[in-house]
Amino acid sequence: MKTEDLINALAAEAAPAPAASVETRVGLALPLAVLVSVVLYFLFLGPRPDLAERIIDPVVAAKTLLPLGLAMLALVLALRSARPAVPLGLPARVVWLVPAIALGLFVWAFVTTAPDSRFMLWQGKSIPVCLPMIVILSLPLTAGMLAAMRRGASVRPGFSGALAGLAAAGLATTIYSTFCNEDSPLFYATWYSLGILLATLIGALAGSRLLRW
Amino acid sequence: MDRNDRWGDLLRRANRGEGAAYALFLTECAPVIRNVVRGRRGDSGADDIEDIVQEVLLAVHAKRHTWREADPVTPWLYAIARYKTADAGRKRRTGGTQVPLDDVAEVLPDEASGEIMAVRDLGVMLDRIDERSAGIVRAVGIAGESAGEVGARLGMSEGAVRVAYHRAMTRLKDLAEAKDETRE
Repeated sequence: MKTEDLINALAAEAAPAPAASVETRVGLALPLAVLVSVVLYFLFLGPRPDLAERIIDPVVAAKTLLPLGLAMLALVLALRSARPAVPLGLPARVVWLVPAIALGLFVWAFVTTAPDSRFMLWQGKSIPVCLPMIVILSLPLTAGMLAAMRRGASVRPGFSGALAGLAAAGLATTIYSTFCNEDSPLFYATWYSLGILLATLIGALAGSRLLRW
Repeated sequence: MDRNDRWGDLLRRANRGEGAAYALFLTECAPVIRNVVRGRRGDSGADDIEDIVQEVLLAVHAKRHTWREADPVTPWLYAIARYKTADAGRKRRTGGTQVPLDDVAEVLPDEASGEIMAVRDLGVMLDRIDERSAGIVRAVGIAGESAGEVGARLGMSEGAVRVAYHRAMTRLKDLAEAKDETRE
């Protein structure tokens, strides 16, 4: 087929571009995915009994708010990355505040914790729940994000997938944090981060396959 | 008028269904796309380059909703051209189009790419795409009907048949490549 013919054929198809954008789709898919994750949360975990009184402590609130902030920033970045040549802009820089604050909290906790209880608090008692549950709760969210983002046209599918996974992991960790009663940053700055990293990796791998077009 | 503004205006009108503006936009884009493809795959033959140009044009068409009216068109277009060129390079490198000689009972020239495909495999693969596309491939590619004839029969415009044919062939090629990969 000659290129000229193809152009004429395409121009004959110049119906108005389909309206539903990636943003609209994410707006539809993400609440559904959050619902699935919340149902899983109530099936397997549920809120800690002392949530209301502990969450007022800024160090405890941080383990919920930091991943929430991360999720919001990653969501914006994922959406931007789903369009060709849209610059990531300010959120791409601001997002680094999240690990920086987490590191700051970790260092602060390290300094203020008595040396003989540091290891105990770092190790905690719930790593075998924390890591898999953050990943499991993130999966429906990653799936929803990727399904919606296939509508876009990421020129870096793996990277976009990672951002989708990061947004999903942030939301999953926000949800998980209301169950978790390990309140030392020694614990959560370490193991939440690892869980988020794993979920991001899954997003990257899935994205590099599913977001190709 | 700046090229970005001009193309932005054309694509905006195209996205509202104005065929003439769209044709003009694609026609003016094609040489730019060709330059991108040539710059990145200069070692390929002219046919191969034109194939990739067409793949980019189809990609621009399929993803035209990802351009936001406030954004400049050129970076968007270049990003798609670079992505599709790299993608085409990857597909060709993985050697997906090598067909063992023994399998070639009869060959079908693929006018979209100049590549060959075994008819026996083609029959199997045609079952794996939707019936309508398969019908168009059979009619145009095998029976040799013209796009106009097929269109008249199916109640489609000639252009729509060409696009459907081109897309079906691309999908068949992808299927053939996927199959070859699993065979290796």
